[in-house]
Amino acid sequence: MTPVQALDFIRVLPEIVLASCAILVMVAEPFVSARHTAALAWVSLIGIVAAGAGNAWMRRFSGPAFGGSIAADPFASYFVYLLLLAAALTLLGSVRYLETNQVHHGEFYALLLLGTTGACLMVAATELIMIFIGLEISSISTYILAGFRRADKRSNEACLKYFLLGSFATAFLLYGIAFIYGLTGTTNLVQLSEKLSAPGARPPLLWIALILAFVGLGFKVSTVPFHIWTPDVYQGAPAPVTAFLSVAPKAAAFAVILRVFLGGLASAGALVFWLLWISALLTMCLGNLAALWQTNIKRLLAYSAIAHAGYVLVGMAAAKAAGPEAGEGIASVLFYLAAYALMNVAAFILVAHLAGAGERYQEADDCTGLAYQRPGVAACLTLLLVSLSGFPATAGFFAKFYVFRAAIHAHLIGLTLVAVLNSVVAVYYYLRVVVAMYMREGNPRASASPLPWPLGAALALSLVGIFYLGLFPTPFVRLANLAASPLP
Amino acid sequence: MSHILTILTFLPLVGATVVAFIPRTATAKIRWVALVTSLVTLAWGIGLFLGFDLHHPGLQFVENYPWIESPPVAYHLGVDGLSVLLLLLTVFLAPLAILASWRSIGERVKEFHLLMLALETGMNGVFVAQDLFLFFVFWEAMLIPMYFLIGIWGHERRIYAAVKFILYTMLGSALMLVAILYLYNATGTLELPAILAQLSGPAPPISPKGARWLFLAFFLAFAIKVPLFPLHTWLPDAHVEAPVAGSVILAGVLLKMGTYGILRFCLPLFPEASRQFAPVISVLAVIGILYGSLVSMVQPDLKKLVAYSSVAHLGFVVLGIFAFNPMGLEGAIYQMCNHGVSTGALFILVGMLYDRRHTRLISEFGGLSSVLPVLGAFFLFVTLSSLGLPMLNGFVGEFLIILGAFHRRALYGALAATGVVLAAVYLLWMYQRVFLGEVRSEKNRALADCSGREKLILTAMAAVILGMGVYPQPFLRRLDQSVAEVLARVQPGEEAALVFGSPKGWNDASRVATSSATTFHAPWLLPLPGPERERGPLDLTRDSRRELRDAAPAELKGIAGVACTPGEAPRAGMNRR
Amino acid sequence: MLRDYLPILVQLIAVSTVGAAILAVSAWVGKRRPSREKLSPYECGSVPVGNARERFSISFYLVGMLFILFDVEAVFLYPWAVVYKSLKWFGFLEMFLYILVLLAGYLYIWKKGALDWTR
Repeated sequence: MTPVQALDFIRVLPEIVLASCAILVMVAEPFVSARHTAALAWVSLIGIVAAGAGNAWMRRFSGPAFGGSIAADPFASYFVYLLLLAAALTLLGSVRYLETNQVHHGEFYALLLLGTTGACLMVAATELIMIFIGLEISSISTYILAGFRRADKRSNEACLKYFLLGSFATAFLLYGIAFIYGLTGTTNLVQLSEKLSAPGARPPLLWIALILAFVGLGFKVSTVPFHIWTPDVYQGAPAPVTAFLSVAPKAAAFAVILRVFLGGLASAGALVFWLLWISALLTMCLGNLAALWQTNIKRLLAYSAIAHAGYVLVGMAAAKAAGPEAGEGIASVLFYLAAYALMNVAAFILVAHLAGAGERYQEADDCTGLAYQRPGVAACLTLLLVSLSGFPATAGFFAKFYVFRAAIHAHLIGLTLVAVLNSVVAVYYYLRVVVAMYMREGNPRASASPLPWPLGAALALSLVGIFYLGLFPTPFVRLANLAASPLP
Repeated sequence: MSHILTILTFLPLVGATVVAFIPRTATAKIRWVALVTSLVTLAWGIGLFLGFDLHHPGLQFVENYPWIESPPVAYHLGVDGLSVLLLLLTVFLAPLAILASWRSIGERVKEFHLLMLALETGMNGVFVAQDLFLFFVFWEAMLIPMYFLIGIWGHERRIYAAVKFILYTMLGSALMLVAILYLYNATGTLELPAILAQLSGPAPPISPKGARWLFLAFFLAFAIKVPLFPLHTWLPDAHVEAPVAGSVILAGVLLKMGTYGILRFCLPLFPEASRQFAPVISVLAVIGILYGSLVSMVQPDLKKLVAYSSVAHLGFVVLGIFAFNPMGLEGAIYQMCNHGVSTGALFILVGMLYDRRHTRLISEFGGLSSVLPVLGAFFLFVTLSSLGLPMLNGFVGEFLIILGAFHRRALYGALAATGVVLAAVYLLWMYQRVFLGEVRSEKNRALADCSGREKLILTAMAAVILGMGVYPQPFLRRLDQSVAEVLARVQPGEEAALVFGSPKGWNDASRVATSSATTFHAPWLLPLPGPERERGPLDLTRDSRRELRDAAPAELKGIAGVACTPGEAPRAGMNRR
Repeated sequence: MLRDYLPILVQLIAVSTVGAAILAVSAWVGKRRPSREKLSPYECGSVPVGNARERFSISFYLVGMLFILFDVEAVFLYPWAVVYKSLKWFGFLEMFLYILVLLAGYLYIWKKGALDWTR
């Protein structure tokens, strides 16, 4: 093993910056009076921006670090940007939220940063143990965040449910990792790929390891049937936390699935493909169908998040089916996740605002007539929902288009048909909120106070991003292709 | 490259942006900005119509810029005769729709006009896009303003109607998206002319079986929009529940997008499949005509009656398209425009009645022509146009379609002709019940007749109806090239009939045409005297042929004593592509 | 391959035999003088009767948890101490940072008042 060098530390610069900032915020918290906790938010935001700058700077030093357990490659870099974006938007969305809900705990920001750190480690890890450590760091922080509204029973329930089921799932992942180590003698993805692709080297019990690992990661991305926690947790957790939960750990887990199942374990072809194919099918259909019956916006968006995971899995199945030309499928997955991050975080933080103090107003009907009290807010939510349902000119459409293109290219016509039909079903439930806002008579119960400026800034940023990705996706497609290229 | 089409498409969107910055209380300002924007767009559209080069095969006013790198999407705009006609229809109806809503839309005026203008951009975009991706973007983006128009300003069941409308259309377009992706995967391009070139080349990249599936995927999307029986159930709901402007645009333009799509994509891209499915589709179209007419007859609600009559009229259009001959096709396209104007006018008239009485039930009216003489006169005029009275626009289209259908299969023609009779029955009966006889209800006695604004709208529409009926040549002439190109793909040889005359059964038909034309003093339908007698009535006038002859390449002149005719031009054009 | 596992098998058999033997012998030769105290369940020295849901200070849990946290962290110091010499300055620095992070945590709980028993 090569000795640790300074270069190794540069290659985990974003994680170091985030972790240091998190510790700083945590230690500073008791010294800051309750009225000034917002200051910690700005410190955290600076930390996130600094981590982003670090991520940009270290592009010149890409390569493996710490004996091959971390890789600073374009793939990791892409995901780190994505995660930082999600964290920054969440942060902007939660500043006033915490004030309205009388939660004066600066630890919120520290935990948010730590959750992001864990997720960043996950996406950069090329070693199963490292992946597990990253997963745990990010999970434990988010478990606590989910229960952050301590006086609220639903929040407690969300926290406990997430914690218990999450630990259960990570145990599966660990068991899978143990199996892989037992079968091949390594946990390094590069070595794993070499060992497995050697002729005649197919350990007999590899399928068990694969399924166990998939269960563990499937929980994090909430694929059906490992999604049951999602609606309850997303509904119970504070809405900005849900925004973060629905994007950051999910994107990170998708990155891990890409690295592990299309990188390290790529030679176990057919099984991986069918795992992805079946979970894509189930996840899309169940997520969308279950969402049809939801009247609670948070729950509705939770099921929609499940459904979106299904579309992402379509892209993965396409990448897997395309064999050596997997790059296109992977790039489509990366693009989709970026679009999804923008739309979903923005939607949840906006819902956090609308739900008012104590998150009392979460029903679609609570927004009745909102369009005439707060036309800007209503238009904003409408645009987000329109993007989520995949209408053209928005990021949601191009992301779907790109994924479906990869799927058709890989001759997954049946799966693509199911996917497009699902997106029609989805229109119905997304529009339910729009109908309430624009077409029903009455006064909104939802908070009609003006948007606080940090939230407004976050939403403006997301909307600009959504339309930029929808209308001029070329630079981003290039980026995604660049990030996807070193993987297979 | 000029930016004529870009300006035409996005001008309304600029207007919408301006509207967005006007305070919502300044309703008069908002209305005027919207109206002026749509009028400027109309002027621009007329300019486009006049500037359209009759002798130029293929697309005109082309703008082609790369837009997205991978997949290679181009911002590719262009128009042919078909697009030009429908664009003109769109930009004509938009200001009228805005004007028709001047009084009836009192709430949320800002949102209304914003959405109307955005909708106009979407509609124009659909007709000019030559890239499948771009087409799909406009096709779907346009749904959202329409959805809001129905859902916010509609009547009692507006939400149901709006959701039904959007879900039906989305269902079709979802399948179309898969088909587009499949086509892209097979051909490596999303640009329509390039795909067309590959599919019509010696080694098409798609198997006949694949083409059948793709045809169905595209066709389903368009058939829902048309709507073809039995996919029409969204239409009565949407049309009835929509506000006046919504109904006008829905009936006037949105339905045409279905038939436009069939002509633009289904037929040229998958000619083999089109021929295979033509009998089934024709039968469905005939069922649509009869069903729509019969159901119209029993409607107690004026708007519903007009809505169902649309099902019948669009049945005519589809029947004409799938006749695969020049008469049918030109008639179908002409009928698309006629239906847009006439039915749009009917919806506006019904809206005017609704504004006065707040009901649309036929039984509530009666004897109105004594109270509202001007409105009654216009109503009669538009009704007659809709049922296809000679001299008015509806006649030309329906007549040509029936002619084409006869030519394809006499039974279709006969049944379609029954539809014309039925149309006369339900429309005239409706007119009789609403306007003739005694004034039965006291409420109807004190109604005010047309205001100046209303007269303006109705006069404009009546003028167009009359103009299109008396002098269809400027419109039909612009279609020749497009029709010839479609026919060359789907029924090679038929496009010759456009020029060289004498298709089977033509002589009988032309005799009918002659007699009716003489009866109604419609000289444009008279066969030309002399050696040109053999030529069809659709043909170019003698003058324009002379122009063509002069402009033709030397080697084409004097072939068997026949002057150069537009039939050659498109083929030459296609080779050039 | 399987032969490698033979010692484990032998040990398994040996352990179960010894265990079973001890139980059997004590059951056979042992004397039984049951009393009330002996039959009651063992409860860490506290009285096993009474309401099990008795409330006692939450601080027990807090301190207990903090103890476990810092105790477990301290475990890492042992293997580090063993190889300390070969790690040289780098090892020192790493452990320094590690302790620093612990210290930050300590400072945090202290300032938060988690260590104040009477609050």
